[in-house]
Amino acid sequence: MTRYLRLLRLFFSTDLQYELEYRTNLVLDIVQTVVIMATSIGAILVLFSYTDVLNGWNLAAMLVLLGCFYLVQGFGELVLAPSFEKFMEHVRLGTLDFALLKPVSAQFLVTLRQFRVTNLAQMALGGVVIAVGLGRLPRVGISEGLGFAVAVVCGFVLVYALLLALSTLAFWFVRVDNLMALYWAFLDAGRFPVDIYPGWLRVTLSSAVPIGVAVTVPAQVISGRLDFFGLAALVAGTLVAFVLASRFWHIGLRSYTGASA
Amino acid sequence: MTEAVVDVRELRKTFQVTEREEGLAATLRSFVKRRRKDVNAVAGITFRIDPGEVVGFLGPNGAGKTTTLKMLAGLLHPSAGEARVLEFVPWRRENAYLKQMTLLMGNRSQLVWDIPAADSFRVLQEIYRVPDQQFRATLTELTELLELQDLVHKPVRNLSLGERMKVEFAAGLIHSPSVAFLDEPTIGLDVSMQVRIRRFVAEYNRRTGATILLTSHYMDDVVALCKRVIVIHRGRLLYDGPLADLAERMAPYKVIVVTLHNGAAATTDLAGYGNVVAADEGRVTLRVDRQVAPERTARLVNDLGDRLADISVEDPAMEEVIDRVFTSEQTTVTP
Amino acid sequence: MIRTYRALLVAQLQSASQYRIQSVLWMLLEVVRPVIFLAAWVAVANAQGGRVGSYDVRDFAAYYISLTFVLQIVFSWNAYDFEFEVRQGRLSPKLLRPLHPIHYAIVENFVWKLTTFIPLVICLVIVALTFDVRFRTTPAHLLLFVPSVALGAALSFLSGWVIATTAFWTTRVHAVSTLWDRGVFIFAGMIAPLALLPGVLQTLSLVLPFGYMLGVPAEILRGGVDVQTALVLMGGQAIWVVVFYVAYQRVWRAGVRQYSAVGA
Repeated sequence: MTRYLRLLRLFFSTDLQYELEYRTNLVLDIVQTVVIMATSIGAILVLFSYTDVLNGWNLAAMLVLLGCFYLVQGFGELVLAPSFEKFMEHVRLGTLDFALLKPVSAQFLVTLRQFRVTNLAQMALGGVVIAVGLGRLPRVGISEGLGFAVAVVCGFVLVYALLLALSTLAFWFVRVDNLMALYWAFLDAGRFPVDIYPGWLRVTLSSAVPIGVAVTVPAQVISGRLDFFGLAALVAGTLVAFVLASRFWHIGLRSYTGASA
Repeated sequence: MTEAVVDVRELRKTFQVTEREEGLAATLRSFVKRRRKDVNAVAGITFRIDPGEVVGFLGPNGAGKTTTLKMLAGLLHPSAGEARVLEFVPWRRENAYLKQMTLLMGNRSQLVWDIPAADSFRVLQEIYRVPDQQFRATLTELTELLELQDLVHKPVRNLSLGERMKVEFAAGLIHSPSVAFLDEPTIGLDVSMQVRIRRFVAEYNRRTGATILLTSHYMDDVVALCKRVIVIHRGRLLYDGPLADLAERMAPYKVIVVTLHNGAAATTDLAGYGNVVAADEGRVTLRVDRQVAPERTARLVNDLGDRLADISVEDPAMEEVIDRVFTSEQTTVTP
Repeated sequence: MIRTYRALLVAQLQSASQYRIQSVLWMLLEVVRPVIFLAAWVAVANAQGGRVGSYDVRDFAAYYISLTFVLQIVFSWNAYDFEFEVRQGRLSPKLLRPLHPIHYAIVENFVWKLTTFIPLVICLVIVALTFDVRFRTTPAHLLLFVPSVALGAALSFLSGWVIATTAFWTTRVHAVSTLWDRGVFIFAGMIAPLALLPGVLQTLSLVLPFGYMLGVPAEILRGGVDVQTALVLMGGQAIWVVVFYVAYQRVWRAGVRQYSAVGA
């Protein structure tokens, strides 16, 4: 276990060293993040110029939601999306073989290998937006804070599970860089509360592809709108999603190596 | 008798590929329905390799060499048959096996491009759990053998192809494996780099006793490194034995190159001495049976006298030998 | 030229047949964002008694469906591919052929839209049924829609190409295209129908080119503006197309010169 943590630290610091060498790119990346987030906030402000409440969410709560969205997306872009993009490229180029022949878990090596540390900015700014939103909401207690942390971690794991399941398709289809498009699409849907979506879409986002949940629930928790059972359901669902996605990935791997003949 | 390092029995691998004809109509049809065909990449091969051997896999493109190598490395499950490497079943990819083997692919890189190789080595050390002392010792030795001093601290992206190959080799050997699978290790490299890599592989084998299987379609790789070759053609084993014997079997002739003085060429016909393969500007290339080669050479020297500027007697080029093996359509070559 | 285009078309169709699923996936991404904002505006409308401005829930549905349809026809991604090609050195062989690289992009663009058209329409029908859509389109609107969406597509393609050309000078095209994309996000009619953008934003949306790519054709398709306004807006489209066409010529020439000077 410590070995895996050590490896993670190595992966992180390697990318950090690399990014620090390109200061202009680093600065530009952060500026881009700020621009994107500012325009997203702008979009919400446009919506709220016509109303005070959107499906029971007021502006402050929506800001918290948006912050959670960037926190979760930021994490995805920090290590998951880059690793999965690399993974799909490996499958395409035939260099996945190297990862399979190392004496560490192939899943670990493939899904957590590539960091893009500039996305810490996205996560940090997301945190700022959450704080701003919280500032305009009634006081938040310790239990909400803890629940929030749990919900956010669940969000991270759910994003992991989604990407893992999506990238498994890379084993069967040749050019799958566009699978990331599917991921972004579903994640994008999470920038608004899941309950604004009509029937079938809400159900899809909440159960089959629990991304909406990944973002909405932490926001609900921290703004005091979620109870213990909801949180427990989230944790349970997250574990199930993780296990299923990992199973699926290993099936894909077996197919890649011709094991399932 | 020592246990074989590699033990392969009746190994088979069959792939399914999609087929499509050209043209717009066919393209549109394939949108809706795909046609598949079975390809026997490896059609039942059997061989054993002992510790410390350096064995060459020869074969034209698509012969099944890389597929075989991948099965032995553990990347592919065979369709049928058995194989053991170091007592392990390779495609189970047990960690204990993976720590003792390495796969190097000539045209594929396992290093991260944007960071210096040294950083990648550190990661590999961690992955293979190589103790610090051993890591430093191995790295020093590899640096010395491959002349890596200036290369390891530059981003891999900035290295030339040959430099990258050297660094890839080092990365593949950081954990001191006892079996190394090399797939086309010198492909795309210039001649002097090829020579250096070959020297390195030979030296590495000598120093560590590692068992090495390499595939290549550069004959010089095989000639320089392998006493034993396994020839694969269309998924079948054509030949398994000493390289020298292969030449004798398949191309039992010698090549005599006669260089004539200016003016003599036009008037001299050497067809009587052997099979004239090429003749231009005073250089005539003859093929003669091995047994009679010395006698023919002596006769040529005698008969040509001062018309002769130079004469040489050579073994047939390996490429020719192999070409004959592949085009002969035989199913085996008995050594 | 026609023969060239036919050859390019066939080649591109063959290539596209390899990636049929991938094309559909990109299309899905395109559909998701308008649907998200549709749902948001429906929620706002519901909170305000059923309408916002002149838009009721069914109008919003019509607008966003039109927008998605227009997006499909108008969408271009030159900047990304082009930058990739420049970096990989794959542009050089194209420059050596007696065919302007833009033609490859045009054909690729067209073929992609062709292959994803039917799946898109299916998605839109589903959305239409889910949200109970109402269009206010008249035959005049449909007639005007065709040239309008063509102008929008030309504008989107040309502006995308101009942005892509900056790849000749900088490796950070990504930064430029992000700024442009965010401009599209705010001002093209994605986050809100242009008529609903508050104050300054609305003025800007009429001055900047973004709205003329998406929002204008979408409103025309929906029948949300009368014929006179539509004609005026189409005039605006035409102006911007000319602007970017000239810009494309200039920037491309300068860029290729720069590229060859540096060593392709």
